[in-house]
Amino acid sequence: MERTSMLELRQVDVHRRDVRILWSVSLRVEDGKIVALLGPNAAGKTTLLMTISGLIKPSKGTVFFEGNQIDRQPVHRIVELGVSMVPEGRRLFPEMSVFENLELGAFTPKARARKEQTAEEVFKVFPVLKERSAQMAGTLSGGEQQMLAIARALMSRPKLLLIDELSWGLSPKIIKDISETIVRINKTTGLTIVMVEQNVALSLEMADYAYILENGRIVGMGEAARLRESEQVKNAYLGLGDA
Amino acid sequence: MAQIIAYGIITGAFYGLAAIGLSLVFGVMRHLNIAHGSLLMVGGFTAYWAFNLLHLDPFLSIPLVMAILFLLGAALYKGLFSHLDKLPEGQKIDNSMLVGFGLIWIMDNLATMLWTSDVRAITPSYTGKVWHVFPGVRLPLVGLAIVALAVLVIFSLHFLLTRTYFGKAVRATAQDREAANLMGINVERTYLMFFALSAALAGIAGVVSAVNYSVYPTVGFEWLLKAIIVLVLAGVGRIGRVFGAGLLLGLAEGISVYFVGPAYREVVGLVMFILVLLRRST
Repeated sequence: MERTSMLELRQVDVHRRDVRILWSVSLRVEDGKIVALLGPNAAGKTTLLMTISGLIKPSKGTVFFEGNQIDRQPVHRIVELGVSMVPEGRRLFPEMSVFENLELGAFTPKARARKEQTAEEVFKVFPVLKERSAQMAGTLSGGEQQMLAIARALMSRPKLLLIDELSWGLSPKIIKDISETIVRINKTTGLTIVMVEQNVALSLEMADYAYILENGRIVGMGEAARLRESEQVKNAYLGLGDA
Repeated sequence: MAQIIAYGIITGAFYGLAAIGLSLVFGVMRHLNIAHGSLLMVGGFTAYWAFNLLHLDPFLSIPLVMAILFLLGAALYKGLFSHLDKLPEGQKIDNSMLVGFGLIWIMDNLATMLWTSDVRAITPSYTGKVWHVFPGVRLPLVGLAIVALAVLVIFSLHFLLTRTYFGKAVRATAQDREAANLMGINVERTYLMFFALSAALAGIAGVVSAVNYSVYPTVGFEWLLKAIIVLVLAGVGRIGRVFGAGLLLGLAEGISVYFVGPAYREVVGLVMFILVLLRRST
């Protein structure tokens, strides 16, 4: 029998309204890895993440999570199975406290039972959130908001974490801190991560493996270390080419 | 004057009860359910029949009325309003009003067919009994019960929305539906339960209206008008403000009756309504 990956997409087509966004996308994500989705704006990266989390349903093809077909499941069910997402723009609940945001992250029955323990673990990773736990989420700084968005996603005790635009609106120093934290979480807990990130150099630094998406199609893939050296990537994304 | 204020507070507590369900659903789900008054009417009739057939005290019949209205609300949401949830906000409000308008027609006429258009009231033994607090101020016992009920509803709702997982799911969904969904919240079920709860709240107001005033098939529309005025005065969102606006309307009506005369009772609320809308639009 074929070994099952943590996540597998098979020839997924996605339409939004009448526009075709993804064309026969197939990819695999192995347990414990960080996988980056690279590509220019409007390549379909965010759509791909939303398809995995169930917010968008594919018009063709299948999505498997730990061998279970999830592409027809409702979003809340996919969360229960162990997929959690940090959406683009963070999408915190601004008029609720930091602690309430975290509580909502632990909404599923399984996560709810271990809420206190998970919160302690999350506070160890992001101590500043503990200090601010009574503050309204909308009053946090950008970096703190991103930390809260990640912490909230971790509260469901996911097996797979999807992160859309980690660096959105953050200063280089904070991006460095948060990205190091994420790599550390991955190394220490074995949490599998799929990330979409504008900053290609940063993505390749963090990731084990990457897929390149252009106009809704997968046009390249490979080990992150190898892609860093590849001429195609250097020219197109890293701004290191001769042209 | 103290008497007028006392009556104003009682009337205001009732207006708050009549408006709270309408306001919560509008704030969270963006459905302007103008059939809310007709749900109130159904609640009133349910309590009326419970009193006359089962000899159940109206205030004790509240749990029964709430349960029936909860189921009715769930069915109406599932069958009608849930289909509007995919629409953008503005269209959703417009369409929910159209659906509500149709519902008023159906429910009011059904009530007329079933129970005739007679005006009825629930008259338990304590109707008309008053408490002489001090000379010149008489408080009807029913009125005191209404105020107590309103306070109980305020605190229960506050507890529900801030302390329970269901309440937190409701607030999260109101702030960002998609993000709430990503937390593992079943948004559709949350909406269903919340709409049903709003109908149950209409039921409470219905019981109160049948004891303190009267109930007949088209009574819902009158209370709907008051509830809409309260909704506009209070703005969207806070439970306390809905009851505050209810009191304001109740007091303003009472005072105008005293100084201007009962003929202008209905005008006061509408004038306030227009003034608020004029100020908002600028």
